[in-house]
Amino acid sequence: MNQSKDPFEAAYEEQEESPPDSPLAPDDLDGRPSSPPSAAAPASQDAATAPDDDETGTAGVNPSDPSPSAPASASAKIKRNSKEEDEDEEEENVEVELAKFPSSADPNKMAKMQTILSQFTEDQMSRYESFRRSALQKATMKRLLVSITGSQKISMPVTIVVCGIAKMFVGELIETARSVMTERNESGPIRPCHIRESYRRLKLEGKVPKRSVPRLFR
Amino acid sequence: MSSSGAAGQSAKPAKAGSSQPSETSVKRKRGMFQKDLQHMMYGFGDDPNPIPESVALVEDIVVEYVTDMVHKAQDIGSKRGKISIEDFLYLIRKDTPKLNRCTELLSMQEELKQARKAFDVDEEKLASLE
Repeated sequence: MNQSKDPFEAAYEEQEESPPDSPLAPDDLDGRPSSPPSAAAPASQDAATAPDDDETGTAGVNPSDPSPSAPASASAKIKRNSKEEDEDEEEENVEVELAKFPSSADPNKMAKMQTILSQFTEDQMSRYESFRRSALQKATMKRLLVSITGSQKISMPVTIVVCGIAKMFVGELIETARSVMTERNESGPIRPCHIRESYRRLKLEGKVPKRSVPRLFR
Repeated sequence: MSSSGAAGQSAKPAKAGSSQPSETSVKRKRGMFQKDLQHMMYGFGDDPNPIPESVALVEDIVVEYVTDMVHKAQDIGSKRGKISIEDFLYLIRKDTPKLNRCTELLSMQEELKQARKAFDVDEEKLASLE
């Protein structure tokens, strides 16, 4: 396995070649009983399991596959398994006209990204990798949505979109918390007081939906 | 202000027809998103090992956020028992980065669906050849 390149660089180069025809190595995808019985499982199959991890405009290539050197690769694999099972079941429920959303495959942007990525330090690279790969579990989110709405049917796109929105919200929280820390000239891991302050600021900015009935006790 | 305690309680995923939104949060398991959130927080700028209380607090905030969003979507969009994507898109219309991300996710989903369909068709051809 080629470990000399960064995983994202390797993925960028890989997508220019033809998609792999050979079945993926068995250790890459541990025991997927719900996957189709065929032996061949090309990249499109596997990329389907992690739509929100894929790079922009590269449908069918999962950057994490070719050189899985991530510290969280084990948990990412397990995540992918459960995601794939969910998607197979839920495809019939998609009613929305998804085709009206254009895809963004901008070669300029990708080239720029590549130059930036090539100059990352190891620390930055690992953080970027965590940023790209981390995601809230679709199954857990679906369970949460079902418990909130009380309805049993939550379509797949809704789950995916909510996971994406929640991830961005976490990003806003953490970034605001970091800026709170720099204002107070503190360093180290983020503490709950910073997060509370950051949440308060986000509320003032109007980025947090207000409850129509305020909750009395947390 | 004590953090909402649901320590050790078992999860009750389906509360059919519940009209008490605040109760759901007490019944859910602790640490629903814990592992994922740790990686996510690191990715967004926290320490490689975030403080557990911070992770728990972020999880509470996120669950509250999702709950409020879903309730708003239910109110706005439709009284038909289902939630539709359009409702969410309407909710975040003011927030440009989120809106862009959502359209990106949805278009990618569509592409992947097409790719998988193409794969299935090829599969059948291969099978019929043999």
